[in-house]
Amino acid sequence: MSEGRKHPDSAAPAGLSEHLKVLEDTHRATLNMLEDFDQERAKLRQVQVATMNILDDAESERRRYRQIQTATLNLLEDFHEEQNRGAQAQAALMNILEDIESERAGAEQAKTQLEAANRELEAFSYSVSHDLRAPLRALSGFSEALLEDYLPALDAEGRKYLQFIAHNANKMGQLVDDLLTFSRLGRQEMLKRPIDMEDAARRVFSDLVAQLPELKIAFALRPAPPASGDSSMIQQVLTNLFSNAIKFTRRRQDPAIEFGHLPETGGGAYYVRDNGAGFDMQYVDKLFGVFQRLHEESEFEGTGVGLALVHRIITRHGGRVWAEAKVNEGATFYFTLPGGEMS
Amino acid sequence: MSGEVNIVLVEDNPSDAELIMRVFRKHKVANNIVVLKDGVEALDFLFGKGAQGSPPPSPSLIVLDLKLPKVNGLEVLRRIKSDARTRDIPIVVLTSSREERDVKDAYAAGVNSYVTKPIKFADFAKVVADLEMYWLLLNTPPVRQYPPGGVGIREE
Repeated sequence: MSEGRKHPDSAAPAGLSEHLKVLEDTHRATLNMLEDFDQERAKLRQVQVATMNILDDAESERRRYRQIQTATLNLLEDFHEEQNRGAQAQAALMNILEDIESERAGAEQAKTQLEAANRELEAFSYSVSHDLRAPLRALSGFSEALLEDYLPALDAEGRKYLQFIAHNANKMGQLVDDLLTFSRLGRQEMLKRPIDMEDAARRVFSDLVAQLPELKIAFALRPAPPASGDSSMIQQVLTNLFSNAIKFTRRRQDPAIEFGHLPETGGGAYYVRDNGAGFDMQYVDKLFGVFQRLHEESEFEGTGVGLALVHRIITRHGGRVWAEAKVNEGATFYFTLPGGEMS
Repeated sequence: MSGEVNIVLVEDNPSDAELIMRVFRKHKVANNIVVLKDGVEALDFLFGKGAQGSPPPSPSLIVLDLKLPKVNGLEVLRRIKSDARTRDIPIVVLTSSREERDVKDAYAAGVNSYVTKPIKFADFAKVVADLEMYWLLLNTPPVRQYPPGGVGIREE
């Protein structure tokens, strides 16, 4: 209630101050209401902000979710690709296995055929060795018998004819033997062992000259490293090379044979050198052929299989054999035996 | 069969038989040589289809070829070596074959010696002569089961 100035017209009706009070109350109430409203509005704004934040967070979550979804889809695609590749690899592997299997079956069959062929050859050789030798023996036997028992009844010509018969029969026998040895060598299993080449050479040479005591051959044995090979086959090689050397130096006054090893030649080669008849180098290609001879039968006997045998054996050992010579000055035969020299 | 039999030669090839006989004749070591030309003849001879009461032959040496018609040499060898009456007789196989399997089989059957016939006749003649010298002169023959003059044969 305001005291103070009173309106001159103080005869203001009592009802006015009541209206003023009501107005003031109303005013106050309205102000309060506006305050409350303001507060509500502020609160609302806060709620709005919070809601906006929540919406923002939700949006980020949704984005992240989408990223995860994309990543997962990629992974699934990759996995699928891998699976496909795996299936392809498996199919390829199955094909390879099939190919291997049919290769193997083919090889089995080839082996069986080879074994059958070998057996046939074995039977053939057996038959040859028996059936050919008998008539040859009869030929040479009866010609000798005639020469011995009926010498007086024969003139020089007759004797000569018989000698030809005997000689040819013997030669054919030798051919048969050589051919059989040659054929057997191709089929025989090789047993590779370390071989003392110096010892082998010494023994082979002394065995050969023991049968020919009238010959005086100078034998030089130079250092030679051990080799790896089939002992009996290598012995055959040495026998053939030495016996050739002995044969072709027979006419010399001072026959000399040398055996050794040259580390720098052809990667390391053994050699057999003689100072005998030698041969013409222009025919060197024919040297190792079966039945190839570079000398007349009348000069030096032989069937011409000896060197073919040597060539076959050395080739089976994975080595090389070659020769150099000068007519009337001698020959050198070289051979390599890979895998085992200079251990 | 009367008389001592020194050598029984079982050889189907007439040339070889002739050449071998020539060597024997030349050296005059063996007096009585019997030549048979196949396995059946050999077995008949040794296991006696002879006259009753006469002893089976007991040669000092049997020279046996391997490749024989009818019954082959290996079979003859086995039969001889598995019978107590004949097991002791020295047997030399004289054959063209140098094949390992023949050598193996012959020794498995109990052969006393295995000799390959050389191709060159000179070598062949020497081999036959050496064989004869060795087995008839150098080697001590087995003790005779049935002395000559006869003893009843016990049929097993």
